[in-house]
Amino acid sequence: MSIDCEDQELLEGFLAETTELLEKLDDDLISLEKSPEDAELMNRIFRSIHTVKGASSFLGFDLLVKVTHKTEDVLNRLRKGELTLSSVIMDVILEAVDLVKTLVADIKGGDIVERDLEGTIAKLIPFLSESATEATVLAPVFASLKEEKAAPEPDTAAAPQAAPASAQGAPAAPESTAVAKQSVPVPQPKAPQIKEPQKPAAKGEELADNSTVRVDVKRLDDLMNQVGELVLERNRMIQLHSDYQTGLDPTGFGDDFGKLSKRLNFVTSELQMQVLKMRMLPVEKVFKKFPRIVRNLARDLGKEVDLVIIGEETELDRSVVDEIGDPLIHLIRNALDHGLETPDQRLEAGKGSTGTVVLSAAHEGNQIVISIKDDGRGIDPDRVSRKALEKGLITEEQLAAMGSREILDLLFLPGFSTKEQATDLSGRGVGMDVVRTNIRKLNGIIEIKNEVGRGSEFILKLPLTLAIIQSLLVEVEREVYSIPLASVIETMRVNKNEFHMIGGQEVLKLRDSVLPLLRLQQTFGCEECTADRSTCYVVIVGVAEKRIGLIVTRLLGQQEVAIKSLGKFLANLPGIGGSTIMGDGRVALIVDPMGLIGGGETAGVRKSA
Amino acid sequence: METALTKLKSEEYGGELIQLVSFNLEKEEYGINVLMVREIIRMLNITRVPNTPRYVEGVINLRGKVIPIISLRRKFDLMEAEYDKRTRIMVMEVVGELMGFIVDEVSEVIRISEKEIQPPPPVVSSGIEQECMAGVINQADRLLVLLDLERMFSADERRMFSNVA
Repeated sequence: MSIDCEDQELLEGFLAETTELLEKLDDDLISLEKSPEDAELMNRIFRSIHTVKGASSFLGFDLLVKVTHKTEDVLNRLRKGELTLSSVIMDVILEAVDLVKTLVADIKGGDIVERDLEGTIAKLIPFLSESATEATVLAPVFASLKEEKAAPEPDTAAAPQAAPASAQGAPAAPESTAVAKQSVPVPQPKAPQIKEPQKPAAKGEELADNSTVRVDVKRLDDLMNQVGELVLERNRMIQLHSDYQTGLDPTGFGDDFGKLSKRLNFVTSELQMQVLKMRMLPVEKVFKKFPRIVRNLARDLGKEVDLVIIGEETELDRSVVDEIGDPLIHLIRNALDHGLETPDQRLEAGKGSTGTVVLSAAHEGNQIVISIKDDGRGIDPDRVSRKALEKGLITEEQLAAMGSREILDLLFLPGFSTKEQATDLSGRGVGMDVVRTNIRKLNGIIEIKNEVGRGSEFILKLPLTLAIIQSLLVEVEREVYSIPLASVIETMRVNKNEFHMIGGQEVLKLRDSVLPLLRLQQTFGCEECTADRSTCYVVIVGVAEKRIGLIVTRLLGQQEVAIKSLGKFLANLPGIGGSTIMGDGRVALIVDPMGLIGGGETAGVRKSA
Repeated sequence: METALTKLKSEEYGGELIQLVSFNLEKEEYGINVLMVREIIRMLNITRVPNTPRYVEGVINLRGKVIPIISLRRKFDLMEAEYDKRTRIMVMEVVGELMGFIVDEVSEVIRISEKEIQPPPPVVSSGIEQECMAGVINQADRLLVLLDLERMFSADERRMFSNVA
């Protein structure tokens, strides 16, 4: 069945709005479960569903109307206090929302597929029969849910929930909602679970639409102002030039030009900020799907988890937002699956039974720092190295040469896993490799902080934007190269006799670690013209978890540069990520640290050849 | 552009006039269809790009766009020469991408009739690969080699270009 919607524009508006509402809805529903007495939140959820229903009935999407209508009815009863929120109801509502997402995705895909609505609607209906008392309403639902699940859970969860619900009268007095709050604790790991919602959720993620931007009108106005300003400065420049040519004011030219360039500098940097801001999205867009994921995971794993989200309003570039979703999911999964212990183990270790995962984002200079921290058991380096040996990923000799940092880096090897058996959650050794690949793609850095028995923290440092970057300008034998500052960890001035050779690889002893070195002059085949100098500079760059020192002749300074592509003929040059245009109009090449680190072996071969 | 090129090759428009930009390389004169040429600029600072074939001189900033520059002398295995005030960069659009070609000197735009284009001689003594010669123009006082740059960057060369280590 194809979509018989005449007005394409109307349809697009509907899809954009609905997608936005549904994204928000997920988040709101999870918060509602934590604070069921929040009337404002409840009303907002109700309104969202109501809006979706109204719009879809207007456009004639009957399937959507059916599901949203029933969901709305259940929400309405919750709102009026005729029903008390329990995780069972929440599961059913979430399932319904997932179904709505799937249907919207179908519409977006341009094809309405007949989907089985009855299953979900049937689960909603028991909550609607007004005649039955709530205890009896809940009972059959629990029964049916348990049948679905192969291993029945202990009744402890079901019984206390049903009891206060029935004890509480139909109309909601403020006191009774307070009772309800006590009876419905935060995500219940022991409550019966429904597996189904997970599959449609994956489909729902695809709904996130990034092809259009919604920009605040005020931002647009500001932008227009800035452009007007720029035009003004350009006119002034033309005027100045013609004045100079006619020889009217030769003495004051220098002064005027200085003033002009200052103003121009100001206007362009303002403009740059404005445009950059328009490309920015709050990281919330990625973060808001995590409460839901954590809730489901915690239940599946039988763990008690508190997810704390900090700094969700931090803004970063759209292109970055698109890429960090997957790595974060893997890291959160790992934190829950590997990091946190089960409640019993936690109590044994003298911790509270509920584990905490802190997901935070913050700006740090020109970078965004995202960290995933858990207070679980931490990473045991011995176990990691043993596993890597078992799987044949490293040799004994390699292991012997490794520091504690390098051992933690083993986590990122494809195929590495501490699990004996792969489950549907983890264990195939793919996750961390995905993390590494995506973070590399973004020119980011990964750091691991680890305390055995106390927890671990994964810190991702990412550039704010990919179009304009802060870079370190360096000189390599009279040629200027630009190194993305986001990957620069530190720079140091080194005497040439401090370098050592280990197995044909030049290295530098840096505090407690041994840093492999790469001579940019050799890699880039520059003519050597400053061989007589005894000192040079080493720029230590990091890509994902790897570190390498680049030997350069001189450091020139820091500059903000706009990235220009080299065109398709010169794409894929190893170690070169693009180019930029300097103040004097020359082109400087941008070093791609990822390419250099990846191509480190071939560079070594060339050296020895 | 497409039509101009096909015109060049097709027999039925035998009497059609085409315009060529003529340029010099090592005392020889070459011609290129004027419709291929975007602009002709003086030499400017070229930034060397590492790990590229020898004939890639580097990249330049053409009003905010970074484009690759190719030395035709090196491409044709001719002797290297110092750049002087007559050296020019011919910016052309080759398979959809802007590229610059360094030549010794650009002389003029000439009109010739298609009838004057002869097939290239079977034996080519210079380093120019046979395939990028579209023909020769033999006039009383001059001999012009007509180049086809699209063919010069034949598919497999372009691939090598982008994957060169």
